[in-house]
Amino acid sequence: MTKAKTWITGVLFFLVATVLCGVLYTAAVTGVAQLFFPHQANGSLIEVDGTVYGSELIGQQFTDEKHLWGRATSLNTTSFTDDAGNPVLWYAPSNISPASDEFASIVQERVDRIRAAHPEQGNQPIPSDLVTNSGSGFDPHISPAAAEYQVERLVRTTGKSASEIRAIIDACTEQPQFGILGEARVNVLKVNLMLDGIL
Amino acid sequence: MLPGNPEGLPGLSWDLAFNTAVSFVTNTNWQAYSGEAALSYLSQALGLTVQNFVTPAVGLAVLFALFRGLVSEGERGLGNFFVDVTRALLFVLLPLSLVVALADVWQGSPQNLAPYEEVQLLEPVGVTAEGDVVAADDPAAVDTIDQAVVPLGPQASQVAIKQLGTNGGGYNGVNSASALENPTPLTNLIQCLSLLLLPVTCVFSFGRFVAGRRQGRALFAAMFILLVAGLVAIAVAEQLGTPQLAADGQVYMGLDGQSGGNMEGKETRFGVTDSSLWAAFTTAASNGAVNAMHDSFTPLGGMVPMILMALGEVVFGGVGCGLYGMIGFVLLTVFIAGLMVGRTPEYLGKKLGPKEMRMAAVLCVTTPLLILIGGTALCLDPATAASVNNAGPHGFSEVLYAAVSTGGNNGSAFAGFNANTPYINVVLALEMLANRFIPLAAVCVLAGSLCARPKVAVGAGTLSTSNALFVFLLILMVLLVGALTMFPALALGPVAEHLMMVL
Repeated sequence: MTKAKTWITGVLFFLVATVLCGVLYTAAVTGVAQLFFPHQANGSLIEVDGTVYGSELIGQQFTDEKHLWGRATSLNTTSFTDDAGNPVLWYAPSNISPASDEFASIVQERVDRIRAAHPEQGNQPIPSDLVTNSGSGFDPHISPAAAEYQVERLVRTTGKSASEIRAIIDACTEQPQFGILGEARVNVLKVNLMLDGIL
Repeated sequence: MLPGNPEGLPGLSWDLAFNTAVSFVTNTNWQAYSGEAALSYLSQALGLTVQNFVTPAVGLAVLFALFRGLVSEGERGLGNFFVDVTRALLFVLLPLSLVVALADVWQGSPQNLAPYEEVQLLEPVGVTAEGDVVAADDPAAVDTIDQAVVPLGPQASQVAIKQLGTNGGGYNGVNSASALENPTPLTNLIQCLSLLLLPVTCVFSFGRFVAGRRQGRALFAAMFILLVAGLVAIAVAEQLGTPQLAADGQVYMGLDGQSGGNMEGKETRFGVTDSSLWAAFTTAASNGAVNAMHDSFTPLGGMVPMILMALGEVVFGGVGCGLYGMIGFVLLTVFIAGLMVGRTPEYLGKKLGPKEMRMAAVLCVTTPLLILIGGTALCLDPATAASVNNAGPHGFSEVLYAAVSTGGNNGSAFAGFNANTPYINVVLALEMLANRFIPLAAVCVLAGSLCARPKVAVGAGTLSTSNALFVFLLILMVLLVGALTMFPALALGPVAEHLMMVL
């Protein structure tokens, strides 16, 4: 092969690869996904009576004592806006070193806030996922231990019985897949939609 | 101007565009931007997904040229690059990606071309005049936000090939930690296996194609031992957590009803186990996707991924390039072991001359050398200090991790480090370019010169390259070259931070 021919083949190859892998592949996956898995492919949205309350996959920040609390969050108000230009919420991980003094003081703040809201728990240690930010910043789940820690507070603030609260939490709990993969987890947004009587 | 941009996202600065283009062309997939907030659907699908496919195919083509150099004598040649790349695309990467992408969608990943969704918040928040987020009923609030965004787009299709091609560049800024990219423990397993699948099969096809299965198994054993050692070290460090998190017993770190351990920067559905597994896999193979924030790992838990990358990405490594890097170390081991017993070095019936050894040396030292040069270049600019997210030795670890990750063509990050400045973008881009193409050229020269050598018969004095002794020597050589060049730098970063934590 001459040098010129190699260059021409190279350019043609790049164009064909772009069409094949960029356009046709993406279009094929999109087509099949929309046909067979439309709910997942469009963001696993939770829609009730025309209002979209969120995605099953994206957590929200909850600080109201009538709600189950999730992972610690740091909110971002500058990355996204709606069509009218108003800011909409997004999330970020902390990327803080868990061995730093700064982290120790952040954890202490969270511990104090959580203890103040949960007098029933006394000096019980707080599950570690309640006082930490997640990897995505919008972890939709907390551990069963972290949910159980909050049950008595929810009984006090919502007027529901402990068994009603636990039934709601159970309904929103996923066990490890096939019994072994990953961790048991509670979907916080779904629990709160059920506590509010929306879902 | 261009179509496929429903969010109306603006263009990138020249240095970020240069860095990103280099990053994806070199199979590094270092990202100095946050995908969902910076790139349109068109850039993601046409710019990035295409490179995700082509770069592993190039790695495979170069690896098979080396294979042919090892088996053939003279005139049969090294094969045709375009034929090999096309085969890799059509018969390996595209079919596997289709399956993995659809499995991801089935489990929950978005795959559409619609604009991002805005959803109603159950608890709206207030924003003060200074931009701080407060409660909605706080008197200082000047504005309330009652909607959150759900980023959508062709995510699953890109995530599948980012894993299979050991690319690692996430659709979203937080990569596979996002429940949109990696919704369940099942997708986590599929993605973990996808990223190791081709690098591992390369080792076995080396056995079948070139050297006999015993030779392939020996290389696999050496890589597997290094991988498991790294995995165990990360998992132990992360499960133990830190005294700063335990807060004198106020925080429960145990295993009852939760994953426990250091959960900062980790997702509940993965916990410590799946996060440690992923961290070891992604840095051993030169994938670079993450499912937890490495920046928030414990000091030693974050050091092990750095070591795995600094070994030259030869513990399985990237598709194609991992194994040809390891063959460089094999030749070096054969050479040194040969010197010790006074034999002329040979591998698989091919005598190794000065030219082969020069190329093997280039393969072995390029990564450590580039890491040190790149790291030094970053530290020389005082402005780099403004990019770090943590104080003290952890800040240095963030800089070091950036140099190691780009120098190893990995692409993962201590993501608190703001790498999007013109100087850092250019330094890291040059590092990625050099580390991809210098070894790649060396392999082509090596393959050509091996091809020209006649096969010699195996004699009584031939050093066995498939027994336990050789595996041990090979591991030693990899650790010697990679880890020892890194030790002084590691002592200033993660080791110092660990000592400050426990003392």
